[in-house]
Amino acid sequence: MRPGIAISVRNLRMGFGERVLLEDASFDVKRGEIAVILGGSGSGKSALMKTIIGLHEPMAGDILIEGTSLVSASAVEKARLQRTLGVMYQGGALFGSLSVLDNVRFPLDRFTDLSLPEKNLAARMLLHELEMGHAESLMPGELSGGMLKRAGIARAMALGCDTLLLDEPSAGLDPVTAANLDRTILSLRQNLGVTFLIVTHELPSIFAIADRAIMLDPHSRAIIAEGEPTALRDCSSDERVRQFFNRRPDPLRAGAGP
Amino acid sequence: MADDVRVFLEGSITAHTAAPIWKSALAALERNPDRPVVVDASRLEHVDNVGLALLFDLARQERASGARVEIQALAPNLAAIVQRYDPRDFAAVPVGRSRIGLLEQAGRATARQITYLRELTGFIGACVHALFRARSRRFVKWHDALDVATETGANAVPIVLLVGFLMGVIIAFELGLVARQFGAVIFVVNGGGVAVLRELAPLMTAIVVAGRTGAAFAAEIGAQKVNEELDALSTFGLDPVEFLVLPRILAVVGVMPLLTVLADVVGLLGGGLVMDSFDVTFLQSYTQLLGAVSAWDLMLGLIKAVFFGLTIAAVGCHRGLATGSGATAVGQSATHAVVSSIVLIIVIDGFFAVVTS
Repeated sequence: MRPGIAISVRNLRMGFGERVLLEDASFDVKRGEIAVILGGSGSGKSALMKTIIGLHEPMAGDILIEGTSLVSASAVEKARLQRTLGVMYQGGALFGSLSVLDNVRFPLDRFTDLSLPEKNLAARMLLHELEMGHAESLMPGELSGGMLKRAGIARAMALGCDTLLLDEPSAGLDPVTAANLDRTILSLRQNLGVTFLIVTHELPSIFAIADRAIMLDPHSRAIIAEGEPTALRDCSSDERVRQFFNRRPDPLRAGAGP
Repeated sequence: MADDVRVFLEGSITAHTAAPIWKSALAALERNPDRPVVVDASRLEHVDNVGLALLFDLARQERASGARVEIQALAPNLAAIVQRYDPRDFAAVPVGRSRIGLLEQAGRATARQITYLRELTGFIGACVHALFRARSRRFVKWHDALDVATETGANAVPIVLLVGFLMGVIIAFELGLVARQFGAVIFVVNGGGVAVLRELAPLMTAIVVAGRTGAAFAAEIGAQKVNEELDALSTFGLDPVEFLVLPRILAVVGVMPLLTVLADVVGLLGGGLVMDSFDVTFLQSYTQLLGAVSAWDLMLGLIKAVFFGLTIAAVGCHRGLATGSGATAVGQSATHAVVSSIVLIIVIDGFFAVVTS
């Protein structure tokens, strides 16, 4: 595994229009690390991921991908940097007019010189790894939500990117499938040195795979915790962090019913 | 062994570098069908999933006994991954969607249209039933119908005025060029007036409304179907036809005659302008028009407009309710709504032409 920083976020300020979601956020994702971004609803997790990918312009700050600034990159350089990242979107974002196999093979068709049988084999092996081998000829409209996600992950992995960004990969998956996905993520990191940045609030997955958790808070619009998940759950000085990791509801107001 | 063929894999094999390596490795196997092949991976530093696919492809090659492929010195973790895959799982060639012949396509399309017409007829019947039910419960959503009428009618006035005016200009001009040869320019008013009132105004207005409103209905209701909003309505015991479709049908059936009247007026005005260029004054055109057209010509156009409006709204809503799943479904519904509406409008117009001849 090559040492170094895969993704570096520096003094990032981001939001939509005049609405600021995150102020002055800084963190690094080391190569070979599995980092998760988590937080309550509306804290800007998915927006942060899209900003890191380059789909949203930050209001201030910088994002470095393998040491190269995404914010100040030219259009050509930005496209090259984006292609070094494998991205799985929340709903899979498969292309509706292509079959599952064609979707996974799409990046290989566009950006490699491999022959069709070679590309098909690489794509089918990915689908097999994600328990989607039986669905390769189906169209996205024929898939369940969980199957869409798994096919989306396979497509994100197709170009063998060193860094994968996954937006809610295990939301909507049954526990066994989610556990299998966790195992695949760990295997990719272990055997191929893949770096992961995952947006999730699935606590079982977080505790199973995450090296580091980065917690956002919508009220303070800041990163309020960063560290190993078990340590944050047990030892964080911030009650919001302990409440989140221990999955405790908000205390009832005095006089409120059960 | 001296008889071995050795294939060396070294450095990094990734999606961007694998193509020539894969090709030359398979070529080496092909050149030596009867000799054992050793794939030396001792200097292989890094692979990604495509590199793994290359290794697996080499390992799974079916060769004569005594000529097998062996991968040596591969990192244990990578070897474990490659061995985990079963060649039988990847033996079948991926099957693409089979293409059907032109004749079969035409036959299937015809059958689909017949089925569609049957469904549409049933849908219109369901709408009529829903209307009576809603009236008996005093539950017709007039407020929603008014909102739709504003969007469909009021907001469509500028484009209807423009299209109607241009249509009147064009028809008068074309007829005038021919009639001038026979010294019968004045009779362009007769032909143009009847054509505008009976055919062109209702038809052009319907086509504009079909493109503008029919597509919008299909897309709105289609998006609601994809988002499971229609299921949510049903869960509350509300009939989507009563709730969503009826107000739209009532609105479009109500505004179509009004828009057609506007198209009539500007169409005739446009024709009058052209006649003026043929030295027929407005007064002369007006007098000639009064003698050429009857109230029935106007009424026929308006009756057609009502039927056209019913068709546009019913087709748009029906296509929306029949939207499939996936990103392309809503767009397809909108497209089908426009095309189906226009075709049916022409068919209904032809029917009226025959019946009223």
